[in-house]
Amino acid sequence: MALPLRAVAARVLLAVENGQSLNQCLPPALNQLPPEQRPQLQALCYGTCRWFHRLDGELGSRLKKPLRKPDRVIHHLMLVALFQLRFSEQASYAVLNETVEACKALDKPHLTGLVNGVLRKAEREGAPEPADDSAQFSHPVWMVEKLRHNWPEDWQAILEANNQQAPMTLRVNAKRFSRDEYLALLNQAGIEAHATRFAPHGIQLEQPVPVDRLPWFADGAVSVQDEAAQLCTTLLDLQPGQRVLDACAAPGGKTCAILESEPALAEVVAIDESAERLPRIEENLERLDLHATLRQADAADTGHWWDGKAFDRILLDVPCSATGVIRRHPDIKLLRRESDIAPLAGIQLGLLEAMWDILAPGGRLVYATCSVFGQENHRIIQRFVKQNEQVKLVTLDTDWGIDTGAGRQLLPDPDSHDGFFYAVLEKPEP
Amino acid sequence: MSENTFCAARRRILANRITVRGFNGGTATNKGENQSAMIREILEYPDPRLRTIAKPVDEVTDDIRTLIDDMFETMYDANGIGLAATQIDVHKQVIVMDLSEDKSEPRVFINPKVEVLDGDLEAMQEGCLSVPGFYEDVKRIEHCRITAKDRNGEEFVLEAEGLLAVCIQHEMDHLNGKLFVDYLSQLKRSRIRKKLEKLHKQSA
Repeated sequence: MALPLRAVAARVLLAVENGQSLNQCLPPALNQLPPEQRPQLQALCYGTCRWFHRLDGELGSRLKKPLRKPDRVIHHLMLVALFQLRFSEQASYAVLNETVEACKALDKPHLTGLVNGVLRKAEREGAPEPADDSAQFSHPVWMVEKLRHNWPEDWQAILEANNQQAPMTLRVNAKRFSRDEYLALLNQAGIEAHATRFAPHGIQLEQPVPVDRLPWFADGAVSVQDEAAQLCTTLLDLQPGQRVLDACAAPGGKTCAILESEPALAEVVAIDESAERLPRIEENLERLDLHATLRQADAADTGHWWDGKAFDRILLDVPCSATGVIRRHPDIKLLRRESDIAPLAGIQLGLLEAMWDILAPGGRLVYATCSVFGQENHRIIQRFVKQNEQVKLVTLDTDWGIDTGAGRQLLPDPDSHDGFFYAVLEKPEP
Repeated sequence: MSENTFCAARRRILANRITVRGFNGGTATNKGENQSAMIREILEYPDPRLRTIAKPVDEVTDDIRTLIDDMFETMYDANGIGLAATQIDVHKQVIVMDLSEDKSEPRVFINPKVEVLDGDLEAMQEGCLSVPGFYEDVKRIEHCRITAKDRNGEEFVLEAEGLLAVCIQHEMDHLNGKLFVDYLSQLKRSRIRKKLEKLHKQSA
């Protein structure tokens, strides 16, 4: 037996609240559905996460007391219904009926009256004024405060950009097509698109499309990659014969970008700690007909995986809060905690120290995050530069991003790239 | 892609709450976990094999326990809450079920029998792994007593209400070659059949 769609959505959201990412808990639920129903479940789960803090504020004000812990799934069921009432075109009577049905199917028949009453009232009264910035911008309080503190000018724009749907951006495989050639192919296929402003091989689509509609996708003509992520290859300043390391590589988007942009590299080593994610790198390499040396290892544990040969270039795309890509992963709003940031910063600095040791003299290291918190970005770089006199911090004279004094910060742009941070460090020749 | 920011260093330190993006947690079968459990193909309506009547299990052997492990693996993978052996083309009276939100309450019913305790019929929206994507109201007895054997061959008795009562009746129908669509009007049933046949043709 299978549960109805919105009952499944409520359980998925409960799993997210308990710490699972949508990437983890949504695929099994989607697999069970026929293809044409998958977007519906996806939209319910992503949309409810995106507006969680707004909707949760409203629901909290409508409930006299919170539901008992074993009934928590019904809280999420009501959030899904509220999401539809506030943000979708669904007829409200259908939302109400189906939600009451789903309440029974979740084995909570004693709560159907409550669900019905709360949702009827919500429908009749309309959305209340958001009580505070957390509800207004639909982000956890700590994120709102941290962003306000980090970006006194831009915090509202960042929060609003996080609530938009992200565009779909492609990286043209320079070995196969020029950007103009591929734009023409897209045009022929009836897919509207334009060249990205900063990334030389980037194309942004006006509307997302399934990848199998993209000309020659399966043959490696293009990859899906945000414009900000594409900028790493320019910063690496790749030259023929170099040995390059991609230190936290999965799913391999940047590994492939590196190999495409300089085909005459001596070797590219891509490592990632997750055995489950390594095959994703392999798939991407295979589709694009590229070759890299793959290793499953914790990059910082160089004693375990390093062969003693220094790298001319290192891309260090560290684990981070991912607060620059919330629009793509709205579950981050529920998953991340303020207390995560300090341990992450510790991991980031540790990785940077370890990678510095295996960088060749005269070599270059690009530090990257998809975070918008200074604590994970320029402050890591400042700390590192302070404790290492040899480090040469390269000034980035680019037409993108904001100069932080120790690297450049891209903020999420509703019309183009994700939030991202880059710093470039060089090791002098002895 | 920029989601690749989760090396396992953080997985180790930040344990379960933060998880590796894109990392699939897998589908452990909890109790009686068996590393070699296999995901089997689920038959879909209108496959005639779903109409086969299942035979009682004479003795609960290791083979039956392997079947049970496979059934749990298959059910969890499809995000279901109940599965009858019939649905994976094994025509023995075996049912697995887990109504919990976190795969924490696996139940096994071998040779189940149901006794009506309360004659009232209650309608509930049902879906079925063999009729994917369709959900319809079905009226069933709301209160019943189940007698069955567990995975060790021990007999047990259980009184069921609500979802448990509905689910056991839904699964026992499978063992008798019956599907929830059989309770619907001719019109609805043939619409569902046509849509699924079309999907099967497309994916064939």
